[in-house]
Amino acid sequence: MSAVRAAGSLGTRAWALPFPLLLAARYLRSGRRDAFVTLLAALAVGGIAIGTSALVVVLAALSGLQSFLRDDVLTRTPQIEITLPSGWDPAAAETLMQRLRAVAGVRSLSRVLRGRGWVRVGSGVRAGEMVGYEGSLPAFFPAPEPARGPGGEPPPAAGLWVGSAPAAAWGLEAGEPVELISPRPALSPFGPVPSAVRIPFAGTYRTGRTEQPDELRLALPLAAAVRLFGSQGMRLSVETAGLSEALMVADRLLPMLPAGAHLATWRELNRPLFFALRLEKSVMFVSVFLIVPVAAMALVTALTLLVAAKRGEIGMLRAMGATAGDMRRGFAYLGLAIGAAGVLAGMGLGATAALVLDRWRLVSAPGNVYFVDHLPFRLEIGDLLIVALSTGGMTLLATLVAARRAAAFEPVEALRA
Amino acid sequence: MSESGEALAVEAHGLEKSYRDGAARVRVLAGVDLSLAAGERVAIVGPSGCGKSTLLHLLGTLDRPDAGTVSIGGRRVDRLSARALARFRNRTIGFVFQFHQLLPDFDALENVMMPARVAGHSAAEAARRAEPLLAQVGMAERLDHFPSQLSGGERQRVAICRALVMAPALLLADEPTGNLDPASAEQVFQLLLRLQAEHGTTAVVVTHNPVLARRCGRVLGLDGGRLAPQTA
Repeated sequence: MSAVRAAGSLGTRAWALPFPLLLAARYLRSGRRDAFVTLLAALAVGGIAIGTSALVVVLAALSGLQSFLRDDVLTRTPQIEITLPSGWDPAAAETLMQRLRAVAGVRSLSRVLRGRGWVRVGSGVRAGEMVGYEGSLPAFFPAPEPARGPGGEPPPAAGLWVGSAPAAAWGLEAGEPVELISPRPALSPFGPVPSAVRIPFAGTYRTGRTEQPDELRLALPLAAAVRLFGSQGMRLSVETAGLSEALMVADRLLPMLPAGAHLATWRELNRPLFFALRLEKSVMFVSVFLIVPVAAMALVTALTLLVAAKRGEIGMLRAMGATAGDMRRGFAYLGLAIGAAGVLAGMGLGATAALVLDRWRLVSAPGNVYFVDHLPFRLEIGDLLIVALSTGGMTLLATLVAARRAAAFEPVEALRA
Repeated sequence: MSESGEALAVEAHGLEKSYRDGAARVRVLAGVDLSLAAGERVAIVGPSGCGKSTLLHLLGTLDRPDAGTVSIGGRRVDRLSARALARFRNRTIGFVFQFHQLLPDFDALENVMMPARVAGHSAAEAARRAEPLLAQVGMAERLDHFPSQLSGGERQRVAICRALVMAPALLLADEPTGNLDPASAEQVFQLLLRLQAEHGTTAVVVTHNPVLARRCGRVLGLDGGRLAPQTA
């Protein structure tokens, strides 16, 4: 038999590998002969796979739900809102607005005035937030639906916009005047009285699914808002091409603002929500991740038993000139192969489960409690990377613990086994 | 160090080694002196537990002495680092143990190739070294047999090939026939002596068997922790 044939007849291509990899490859194959070690290795692979897939599914569910919540909330949030210093000269404000409109990325810039007041509906009165707008309805009142009269008459050019849900509940008709009342007093011959205006109903915007039934938001022309609340606390609302662009544009606007002005992006405006969402995801990740160390223990046990079973062989290999590092690497590669099998199987299983659950809407939820009638799942590259790195890291740690034992044997001790 | 298979002289002076046995300390070697010329063959005999294997382990750099020195080819090996010792063993020393210590997951050819693979040689180069050796010991038809498929004598023949595949300057055999029936023991011992002579390797053979020991030429007895020449 020639050397070339012999090299090719070695049963596997593994013989071309460096020695530690060769050792790992052969022990991985031979593991099938040792039923107990094989069982433990299978348990380790299974445990790591279950932990990994659970992490993938849980993070996909949270990402899906959070994405829905975020989208719903952000459609009702200005991208950038600038609060001008109190008592600022309107002429100076106009000049500033001209300069800010010229900044790259700014699509529109308009004044808004926020205040709280009451709306009289029939014989009842409800409190709500009132937003005075300049020009057209701001984008954070999504999907505007102009109200039309019975004859298809167009709605008033500057009117009151109400959320679709309360508008339907109140039965408002196009052009119907609605009385808005402000707590800011106006002086009358009878002393201070609340300011009030009557504004015609112009249309509806889409009420967010996450809005509470008692949460009321109304948009009214800026002039009417000034009459109700005064001109103090005037803000500028800036719209850009998108949410990430808004953050960049905000950086450009900030240095141009006068002292005392305050700029808030959609991120700052919703900071408590985003913090809560991030916290929820982190806590869930840590809770579910606890499965992985338990599975990693099984991996340590399987490898430690294998090291004990191979003690005599380790001794002989050391006598042949293999270094402690060679033995450590050999068993580390073996453990990594077992762990990688678990991680990859878990990633595949979890991703498939998330896709199936989302595609066929298999997890239902009471819509009146959770805003959605099914749980959406969303696989995000970042989540998958975090799962792969964390479970892979835990596997590596478990492997190194066991591999150190293989390296710790002095040749003579191992040979005496 | 010889890496070309050239035999090396071995010198050991004042070797001491003791082990802890519970609270007691057992002194196994109490100042062993040994001097072997390059290519010389020597047998070490002695009762069980007298320290023959311990001495072999010290000469083979598998263990370190409590006191004394070991020089192989004029180089103090007891001072080398663990990494340097591993490389030294791989290139310079071949071991044959009583229990063949073949790797059960590898076949006969792969077992013999293993020291060459540890040394970083390619699979083809390792096979080129291993095959002729196995053919020399009559194992050409058993290359792809695993240790569990071989007889005791065959396993020991494979173990001898493995010890010689790197053409070591020093061959250390610890009871190489101790686990074999008389007929197989005779075959294996003859083979060992023949290959040692052919390769011109310096050899130390530890054995219980005085008849086999005498065939090595020089016989040293280990008793009371010291070596002394033995005559027939």
